[in-house]
Amino acid sequence: MQRYASFTFRAATSLVLPGVFALVACTKEGRTLGPEQPLTPPVGASDKRIGVFQNNLYQVSQGGRYFSWYGCAGCHGSTAPNSHDLAPDLAQHPRAFDAIYAMIADHPRVPVHYRDRIPTEQLWQITAYVRALPATKPELRRRQDLDEAGEPQGAQWAGPVR
Amino acid sequence: MSAGADGVELRRAELAEAWRDPPGLWGFLVTVDHKRLAARYIVTTMFLLFLAGLLAMDMRIQLSAPGLHRMGPQLYNESFSLHGSTMLFLVSVPVMEAMALWLVPLMLGQRNMAFPRLAAFSYWLYLGGALMLWVPHALDITPDLGWFEYPPLSGPGYAPGHRVDIWAQMITFTEVAALAASVNIIATILKLRPPGMTLARMPLFLWAMLIASLMTIFALPAIMLTTSMLIADRLVATHFFSPSGGGDVLLFQHLYWFFGHPEVYIIFIPAVGFVSSIVETFSRRPIFGYPAMVLSVLAIGVLAFGLWVHHMFAVGLPRLGNDFYTAASMTIALPAGVQIFCWIATIFSGRPRMATPLLWVVGFLVTFVIGGMSGIMTASAPLDLQLTDTYFVVAHFHYVLVGGAIFPLLGAFCYWYPKATGRLMSERLGVLAFALIVGGFNIGFFPMHVLGLWGMPRRVYTYPAEMGWGPLNMLATIGSTIAVIGGLVFVANALWSYWRGERAGADPWGGHTLEWLCPSPPPSYNFDSTPTVRSITPLWEPELLAYDGIATTKRELLVTSVMEAEPIYRQNSVGPSIWPLVAAVAVSILFVGSIFTPWALVWGALPIAITLSLWFWPTRERAKTGPLRKR
Amino acid sequence: MGGTGSMRRGAALVPVMLLVGACSGVQSPLAPAGEQAADQLWLFQLMLWVCGILYLLVVGFLGLALVRVFRNTSRLAEPELAPADRTLDRSLLVWASIIIAGLTLLAGASFVVDRALAAAQAREALRVRVTAHQWWWRIAYRDPASGRWVETANELHLPAGRTARIELASADVIHSFWVPNVAGKMDVIPGRANAIDVTPHRLGWFRGQCAEFCGVQHAKMAFDVKVDTPAEFAAWLATQARSAAAPADPVAARGFQIVTQGQCAMCHVVRGTAAAGRPGPDLTHIASRRSIAAGILSMNRGNLQGWIAQPQALKPGTMMPAVTLEPGDADAVAHYLEQLK
Repeated sequence: MQRYASFTFRAATSLVLPGVFALVACTKEGRTLGPEQPLTPPVGASDKRIGVFQNNLYQVSQGGRYFSWYGCAGCHGSTAPNSHDLAPDLAQHPRAFDAIYAMIADHPRVPVHYRDRIPTEQLWQITAYVRALPATKPELRRRQDLDEAGEPQGAQWAGPVR
Repeated sequence: MSAGADGVELRRAELAEAWRDPPGLWGFLVTVDHKRLAARYIVTTMFLLFLAGLLAMDMRIQLSAPGLHRMGPQLYNESFSLHGSTMLFLVSVPVMEAMALWLVPLMLGQRNMAFPRLAAFSYWLYLGGALMLWVPHALDITPDLGWFEYPPLSGPGYAPGHRVDIWAQMITFTEVAALAASVNIIATILKLRPPGMTLARMPLFLWAMLIASLMTIFALPAIMLTTSMLIADRLVATHFFSPSGGGDVLLFQHLYWFFGHPEVYIIFIPAVGFVSSIVETFSRRPIFGYPAMVLSVLAIGVLAFGLWVHHMFAVGLPRLGNDFYTAASMTIALPAGVQIFCWIATIFSGRPRMATPLLWVVGFLVTFVIGGMSGIMTASAPLDLQLTDTYFVVAHFHYVLVGGAIFPLLGAFCYWYPKATGRLMSERLGVLAFALIVGGFNIGFFPMHVLGLWGMPRRVYTYPAEMGWGPLNMLATIGSTIAVIGGLVFVANALWSYWRGERAGADPWGGHTLEWLCPSPPPSYNFDSTPTVRSITPLWEPELLAYDGIATTKRELLVTSVMEAEPIYRQNSVGPSIWPLVAAVAVSILFVGSIFTPWALVWGALPIAITLSLWFWPTRERAKTGPLRKR
Repeated sequence: MGGTGSMRRGAALVPVMLLVGACSGVQSPLAPAGEQAADQLWLFQLMLWVCGILYLLVVGFLGLALVRVFRNTSRLAEPELAPADRTLDRSLLVWASIIIAGLTLLAGASFVVDRALAAAQAREALRVRVTAHQWWWRIAYRDPASGRWVETANELHLPAGRTARIELASADVIHSFWVPNVAGKMDVIPGRANAIDVTPHRLGWFRGQCAEFCGVQHAKMAFDVKVDTPAEFAAWLATQARSAAAPADPVAARGFQIVTQGQCAMCHVVRGTAAAGRPGPDLTHIASRRSIAAGILSMNRGNLQGWIAQPQALKPGTMMPAVTLEPGDADAVAHYLEQLK
C-alpha cells in the first residue's frame, strides 16, 4: 500500500493552516444580534463604537432599511433629484462619523426633530449607511433599492411589491 | 509472451514499472491512478459527512426542547444552510462519483479511466469547492440562507456582503468537478469495455453510473446558470430576479429545481447500482429481470427531468400544471417499485447467505420504501400544500437520501473494502454498527413525520412550548445520537480492520464481476491482462479468456466499440501530470475572484488558457497508421 | 364535495384522537377546522391506507426472502447461472399492475381534491388582504360601512361557513401563509399576486405560521386565527374600523403623548391620532389582540413593556428598535396601549 503523504505534509496541513485562518478571522461580515445597543451619540470622531457600525456590512445594510422606514429616501433616495442625492456631496467632502450623526439628528427643514424621534442605535446605523454611500456604485444602489421597493417610506407606503 | 511463472513475474514487473507513480509528496500531487484519486475523494467526502453530521447534532440538540437559547437564530440558520449544502453538494454526489472512479475501471477489467488527468482535475476542483464553503465558515462568514438561497432574500437588497456569493460560487466549483467526473465515466463505460462486454452484458452498476452521469450533464448546467445569474444580480446589478425591475423571482426557483430534482436521482441511481451488485453476489445468481432493471433505471433517469415543479406546489402556479406534475411524480414510483421487486425476487430465488453487505441492503429496502411512500404523499399537489416546508418533508428526504443512498453506500463500503485493502471488515462490529445506525435513524426521523403533521415548520431555530412538539423532538435527538454513535462504530471498524482484519483473497464473497479477478488490493496496473467477457457473469463461467497484446512497458488501454465491444485500437494512457492541479488552482482563482469583481473573468481566463495549453501540449506526432490515419 | 362533508369530518376523528394529550392541535392539519383542510386530511388518510398496504407487501415479500437467507447453511453455494423464473415473471407483472392501480387511484383522488379546492373560488364571500413583512403580518379588511380598508396586524378573524379570499402580497422577500387547521399553504411572493380561498367551519382559536424561510426570524413569524360566527365577525370588524379610544386617565394621557409625539409614531399608526407611521404594525386596537410580536408573546402589560424596551432579547434580529424610556414613561405607554381595545 503506498504511503500517501509524508509526515511533514500532514503536519503542515492539519496544524498550521487552521491556525493561520483563525488569526485572520474576518469581522466585516459578522452579524451579532442581541440586546447591546449604544445608548448615547458618538463622542468625537474616534469613538470606539464607530468601527462596530461603519465597518460592518450588516449594520450598514440595516441603516439602509431604516433610511427608507424613517422617510429619508423620500428626499435622498437613489431616484431623488440631484440636489438631494448624498453620495456625490459626501464623496467630495468626506465628513467624520459624529459630524454626519449630528447632521442627521439635528436635520434642518424637516417637520420632526430626528434626535428625539429616531432611536439612538438606528441613528448610528443610518449614519454608517450614509457614510458608506460614496463607495457604492450607483447602479448597485439602484438595484438594492429596487429589491426594497415594497418597503414603507415613513408615513407613505406604496403597497407591497406587485 | 513467454509462459510460465517467470514470464508472469516479468510481465508484472514491467507493468508495475510502467504504471507506478513518482514517490512521496510529488507523487501524491501528480498521480492519475484512479484508485488513489478515488481514495482521497472518498476520505474527503467522509470527513465532510462527519462535519455536516456535527452541524446536524448541534441543530438537533438546539431543537430537543422548546425555547432553548443554546443557538441563536443566526448560528442556527448558518448551521442548516451549511449542513444542507455540504450534504448535497459536497458529500452525496461526490462520493458516488468517487466510488465510480474507483470501481468503473476495475469492473471493466481496465487499467485506468479514459481521461486520467480529468479525474485528478475533478478531485482538486472539488477540494477547492469544499474549502470555498468551509474556510469562510472558519472565518465566520458562513452562507446563512439555506441550501437553496431564494431571491429576493439572497438578492442585493436583503443579503449584504459576500455570504451568498460564496455559496453560489461553491456550487460552480462542485458542479464543474461533477461534470468532469461524469464525462470521464461516460467515455470510460462506452469506449473502454473489455472485449465481449456488450451493453447487454454490462453489470448493473455500470448501467447506473452511465445513466447518472448522463443526467449530471443535463442537469448541472441549470444550477450553474442560475447561481451565476444570482451573482450577476448582486455584483453587476442585473435584474434577473428583481420583481420591480422586470425580473422574476420564480425564474430562480424553476432553474434551481430543474437541477435540484434530477440531483437527488443522481445520488440515488448509483446507490441502486451498489444494491444490485451486492444482491447478485449474495444470492449467488444473476439479477432477476435484468432487462426490467435496466429499463427502470433508464426510466427513472428520464422521468426525473419532468418532476421539478413538485418542489414548487405552494408557489401558486396554475392548478392543472400542478396536477400534471403530481401524476408525473407518482409515475416515477413505478420503475422504483419494479426494481424493489426484482431485488427481493433475486434474493428469494437464489441461494442467499447473510453477511454485512446484504444486511445493509435489507436496511435500505425497509427504510427507502418508507421514504418512497412519504414521497407519494408529498407528490400530490393538494396534500403537499399541507406537508411542504414542514418536518414531514424533512423526514421524507432524509428517509430517501439516508435510506436510499447512505445505507447502500455503507453496504458498498463493506462489500468492496476487502478488494480495496486486502482485509475483511469485522462482521460483529459491522452488525453492531448496522443496528445502531438503522435503528437510530428510524427512531430519530420517523417522529418527524408526525411533527410535520402536527404543524411544525422547517428551518426554525426554536418553537413554543404550548405546541406540544417537545417530546417528539427529544426522541428525534436521541435517535440521531444513536445513529451517530453507530457511525463512529462503523469508522472504528474500518480503521481497526485495516490493520487487524482477516486477510481476504481476490474474491472473498464469490462475486461474478471483473473487479474480483485482480488481487486485493489491486496493484497500480489492476490486471495482468485484459479479460474477455462472454456472459453476464464472467467470473462464474468455467473459464475466462484473456486478451493479449496490450503493451506492458508503457501505459496503454484497449479501446472497444460502443455496441459490440469489439477491440478497435490501443490508446496511450497518460501518466502522472501536475497540470490538473495547476489548472484547478487557476480555475479556483477565477471563481473566487469573480465574487469580488467581474474583471476576474477576464484576467482569470489568462492563467487558465496558459495552463490548459500546457496540459494539452501534444507529446507525440499524428498517427501514421491505423484508423486515425484517415484524418 | 359538500355531501360527504360529515363523513369526512367523522373520519377525521381517528387521527384527532392521536392528538389527545400530545399535541395542542391549534396548528395541525390533522384537526381540520376548514373544508380545505378536511379534504386534504381525507386524501392523506386514503394515501396512508394505500401506501401502508403496499409497504406491508414489500416487507412481507422481503421477509419470505430472508427466511431463505437464514435457512441457508452453506457458506458459499455454487452460483445458479440460469434459474427458472416463470412464476416470478408473472409475479412481477402482478406487482407492477398493483403499483399502477394504486398510483392511478391516488393520482385520481389527488385530482378530485384539487378540483374541490379550486371550487372554493366560486363561493368567495369576503376579501382579506394579507401582506407579509419581515417578520410580521399586515392584515386588512374592507369596512362594509365606509368602504375603506381597515388594517390590523398578526391576527386574522374569519367568519365560519363563508369562503374568504385571502389576497397575499409581500413587502420584501418570499414568505408563506399557512393556517394548517383551515387550509394548505400558499407562498407569498413579491411580484406575484397569489391568493388562497379558505372556508373555515369550526369555531375557535387557531395558529398560523410563516412556512417559507424568510430570514433570521422566520421561526417567530406566527399569527393568531379566530373563527367567529358571522355575527361575531361583523361586530369585531366594526370595532376594528373605529378610531383609537381617547386616553381615559392622566397616566394614559402621558402615554398617549409619548406614543404620538415620540419614537413610536415614526413607524406605527394609531388611527385618529398624530401617529401615522407605516413601517410597523397598526396599533389602533392592539389591546384587543391575543398576542404581540407576531404571535410569540401574549398580549399583556409585562410583555408589552418588555417588547418595547428590549425587542432584541425576545426576537433577536427583529426590525423593531429598542425604545429606551424612563420607568415612569414606560409604564405610561404600556398603560395607554392596554386601553387600545
